[in-house]
Amino acid sequence: MKLTLDIWRQKSANAEGKMVSYEVDDISPDMSFLEMLDVLNERLLEKGEDSVAFDHDCREGICGMCSLMINGMPHGPERATTTCQLHMRKFHDGQRITIEPWRASSFPVVKDLAVDRSAFDRIVQKGGFISANTGNAPDANAIPIPKKDADIAMDAAACIGCGACVAVCKNSSAMLFVAAKASHFGHLPQGQPERYERVIKMVEQADAEGFGSCSNTYDCEAACPKEISVRHIARLNRDYLRASLFGE
Amino acid sequence: MVTFLARLFRSSVMIKIIMAVSGLGIIGFLLAHLTGNLLMFGGPEKINAYGQSLRDLGPVLWLLRGGILLFFIAHIWSAIMLGKRNRAARPIGYAMKKPIKATVFSRTMMLSGLTVFAFVAFHLAHYTFGKIQPEFFNREYTLHDGRVTHNVYEMVVYGFENPAYTLLYVLCMTLLGFHLSHALTSAMQTFGLNNPKYSKFLRRLGPSFAVIIVAAYLSIPVSVITGILKHKADIEHTALSNEGGIIKEMKQ
Ligand code: HEM
Ligand code: FES
Repeated sequence: MKLTLDIWRQKSANAEGKMVSYEVDDISPDMSFLEMLDVLNERLLEKGEDSVAFDHDCREGICGMCSLMINGMPHGPERATTTCQLHMRKFHDGQRITIEPWRASSFPVVKDLAVDRSAFDRIVQKGGFISANTGNAPDANAIPIPKKDADIAMDAAACIGCGACVAVCKNSSAMLFVAAKASHFGHLPQGQPERYERVIKMVEQADAEGFGSCSNTYDCEAACPKEISVRHIARLNRDYLRASLFGE
Repeated sequence: MVTFLARLFRSSVMIKIIMAVSGLGIIGFLLAHLTGNLLMFGGPEKINAYGQSLRDLGPVLWLLRGGILLFFIAHIWSAIMLGKRNRAARPIGYAMKKPIKATVFSRTMMLSGLTVFAFVAFHLAHYTFGKIQPEFFNREYTLHDGRVTHNVYEMVVYGFENPAYTLLYVLCMTLLGFHLSHALTSAMQTFGLNNPKYSKFLRRLGPSFAVIIVAAYLSIPVSVITGILKHKADIEHTALSNEGGIIKEMKQ
């Protein structure tokens, strides 16, 4: 396959960036999108040019490191797919592809397509944990958990923190991420002691990081590679309201 | 209390709740206003007597108006607060961006909201203060109980006989419909209501409500322009010919 790539190039966090066009050929339809970028980078290096920086780690759809706005959609046009799991056969020969970094003031560009997502880490530090006694690991099934609750918590726990929800949102809101983390713990008995404090603190941190507010447009749910439901946002709103009205 | 208030006016989630509560308050007003307006179809006596009864409320009417104003202020304040925050959250936009499932209505709430706001100002100048089309404003009507009152019925019929006004109201009401179609469903999510048991119903609630409200409001200007609602002269005429009809029947 032969492709034309319009890629955002930016030397450093504070440098001016711009879109630059590249032609790549001999791309196999079986390559992943990241492998296609690897090929581009090898050729750039052979020519003595600076390679394109982009984030990646596991390349199997579980770590959340890969990002990229591909033709105006986070992780590209396929639903429920991370960029590392997106294959070039989903594109056609001769296609023009626009590749941009996540755009949000809370996700500053580090270089080219790589952004700093540590704002998410700071939100998790505020409440993405439970309190547990140290010592021996407790019995796996000592605490009975209804199957329904376990399923909902598990669905929320599927969040890999990639930031696609922020990237796609017209307000750069982190609500789906925050809601997934809050639901993941809040649906389980182990997460109850901090349940209300957790939502207040995590939302406060998301606000402080400069993420936007939720307009309930639901593009986040559609862009999420793990298909996390906006139901979790409703639950977050509910818990938040209850915590502010009745909490200490 | 202090932390609660500080949170209420700063937290993005709480401001959104203020927006939803005030929005529902305005929707309450929309329903009440619509009920009154539809009395146009009951003829001049009904709508004019209704107008008079509102004025008879005196201070209570001002209390109600103050409440609506408060809802509007709270709603617009929260729209401005969140709008500022949201714009700041993405200083550099995308070269290419495609919405995936966000509807055009949900993406243009600020635009439709501001249009509704401009319309409200125009509408007040038109039918409350009589600054627009003043020639139709100060007509009088004598109620069955003999009291002389403001002729709302004629003001509206004469007003909408001008197609430009009808068209303007159609356009503004359509944008109100856009706003409502996202607003009502969105408010439910903001209050934390979203469950597979009734999520399908809630998804349809906003759009269906919007269609019904807009159609009901527009039934008035559209009825005027199509001649279903007529002004006084026509009504007396039909009333007379009707009486003639009854007399004829009685004679037979
Ligand atoms: C006066 C001008 C108005 C402006 C500037 C305005 C603005 C907005 C905006 C920007 C939103 C979306 C908030 C977001 O995207 O997060 C919104 C939501 C809403 N609006 Fe308005 N609006 C106006 C008038 C109205 C009117 C007349 C009604 C009632 C019929 C209304 C009812 C609502 C409701 C119920 C919501 C949903 C709140 C939620 O999503 O939780 N608005 N408004
Ligand atoms: S590289 Fe780990 S999810 Fe894509």
